[in-house]
Amino acid sequence: MSLIEVTDLRKRYRSTTVVDGVSFTIGEGETYGLLGPNGAGKTTTIAMVVGVLARDGGGVRLAGRAHEVTSLATKAMIGYVPQEIALYPDLTARENLAFFGRLYGLAGRDLRRRVDEVLDVTGLSERSREAVSKYSGGMARRLNIAAGLLNRPRLLVLDEPTAGVDPQSRGAILDAVARLAGEGVAVLYTTHYMEEAERLCDRVGILDGGRMRAEGTHRELVSLVGAGDHVLITVDGAAAGAVPALERTPGVTRVDADEARLELLVAESRAVLPLILDAVTGAGCAVRSLEVREPDLEAVFLKLTGRALRD
Amino acid sequence: MKALTIGLINLKRVLRDRSNVVFMLGTPILMILMLGLLFGGSREPRLGVSGAAGPLAERLVAALAAGGAVQVERVADAGRLRADVERGRLHGGLVIPQDYDAAVRSGGRADLRYVSLGRDWDAIDLESAVRAAVQRENTLLRAARYGVERGAGPFGERLAVVSRAAGDGAVRVTTTGEAVIPAGLGAFVFSAPPTLLLYMFLTALTTAIGLTQTRLLGVSRRMYASPTPARAIMAGEVLGRLLICLAQGLLIMLGSALLFGVGWGDPLGAAAVLVVFTLVGGGAALVLGSVFRREGPVITLGVLLGLGLGALGGTMVPLESFGEGMRRVARFTPHAWGYDAFTALVRRDAGLLDVLPQVGVLAAYAAALFAVGLWALRRSLVRG
Repeated sequence: MSLIEVTDLRKRYRSTTVVDGVSFTIGEGETYGLLGPNGAGKTTTIAMVVGVLARDGGGVRLAGRAHEVTSLATKAMIGYVPQEIALYPDLTARENLAFFGRLYGLAGRDLRRRVDEVLDVTGLSERSREAVSKYSGGMARRLNIAAGLLNRPRLLVLDEPTAGVDPQSRGAILDAVARLAGEGVAVLYTTHYMEEAERLCDRVGILDGGRMRAEGTHRELVSLVGAGDHVLITVDGAAAGAVPALERTPGVTRVDADEARLELLVAESRAVLPLILDAVTGAGCAVRSLEVREPDLEAVFLKLTGRALRD
Repeated sequence: MKALTIGLINLKRVLRDRSNVVFMLGTPILMILMLGLLFGGSREPRLGVSGAAGPLAERLVAALAAGGAVQVERVADAGRLRADVERGRLHGGLVIPQDYDAAVRSGGRADLRYVSLGRDWDAIDLESAVRAAVQRENTLLRAARYGVERGAGPFGERLAVVSRAAGDGAVRVTTTGEAVIPAGLGAFVFSAPPTLLLYMFLTALTTAIGLTQTRLLGVSRRMYASPTPARAIMAGEVLGRLLICLAQGLLIMLGSALLFGVGWGDPLGAAAVLVVFTLVGGGAALVLGSVFRREGPVITLGVLLGLGLGALGGTMVPLESFGEGMRRVARFTPHAWGYDAFTALVRRDAGLLDVLPQVGVLAAYAAALFAVGLWALRRSLVRG
């Protein structure tokens, strides 16, 4: 069952439509990625989902309830991590967290305990009494996430949480998000990094020009491209000898041979790989190396929009 | 409750910065001291006198001290007198030549020398007082000489006669109506109320930067994403600024009363003016902090409006010294209404009822500013 249902979201600024009929659902424990280039409408969509921006059309239901900008009960279920470091730089990490915790109704011992917990989760306990202005970019990003976890959200919304951070902090952030999803938290994650979406998200929605171009699992999206996997094989001896056997192998749609190298296009590499190996060895070629290249989301985006993700 | 949480975090942020504390408390007290010394004055300038000490010279010295408006003291010699004036111990000095008595009795000329730097109002007042006293004495001496020349008697006798006649006073000057600045008020009574108005408004406008930062950082949007109603966020942001402004006003009142003995008049009236002026400052901060999307214009406009309206409203130079036209212009500033109200309370023992018109105008200013400010803040919260 879906925790959140977003239906036909619309937003216009004067004569420009920035979000145009976006719909998706996210189940508990599921991580849903909104993938798109800058200006695709991801942040505006997120703002309407979180309830900080009034929408011009469509609806959002959270845990079966209508969710509006004035719905305090549903807002209490959402943890929001905005793209910017939305914290007071002159206050310490602990003071910032305590402040936002109070806005979620935490107080006294509960508040102190929860602040300690989120500091621990994000690995900031030791420097929690330092002003945020003294934090590195990565630490500030982690604290930004910590503030979104204070209310033990059922839905965690992260808007490009790894923008501008070092690889180590990025890894830590992605691990933390994956852990939360494992604990049953529904995650809505926007990014323009294809690798993040591939690594983290169970399902991905591809957003461009304010419209949802496609959505589904990685495999489902890749299948939209229509191309199969590329299998690259290096053999001892002349590769051309294996071509007839490979062309007869079910699932292989194209075979190119170049000296000791074979390049195959196959519909579903995992299923036909044993048959391919049998065909190559049966033709008297010893396999030295084998590489499978699946189409990625970049290719999907290119196919759907006619331009690269980071254009 | 959440509004209080937001209000207190704003107060905490302001007080954490020590330069803010110095600006909010230290500078106003210093300003009260400076303006008090500049415009309040001692009202009794000090005059040093050196040189001849004969009966006629002493008579001149007595004439200088006669009105009670000048403190006269004898100084050993002209060199010392000059040094004391240069060091500021005396506002001016008069050197009487050693042959003064002889020259005057014989109808000759005696050259008095006046020493002054003329750099403050006391020195200027003193020079006028000295000129008037010397001129009067000169008139009496000439009248006495005239009598002697007409054979009416010896010089001493004639001088006594004309002095008595002049003492009766042919012309009397009577002041009617209400004095602009009543006698007997301390120097700091003039400087404390305008300083309070200037700094409260300026501080309120500087807190607008904090509101703009909160919006730009995305903190206000994050607050709105939490289960906190927009009205609580707005109330919290307003409350924080009002608390800062009110705290400064109260501390200036308390500090000036304790350090300089400033009496703020009727407590109810003073509290009413303080509260409505706090609301005016808070409202102005709300407008400034909610309208702009960058910090630069907020800082520039905040300083310009804070100082400009303050100067125009009589918080730097007393409103009483303005011409009629400028006084009319000053009426467009809230400062002028606050100045009027405090002037009535502090100088003329007015009560709450007497300052109700000024309180009403200030309340109208506050209401208008809050209406615009809350609309702009809500718009920035909901529309991003």
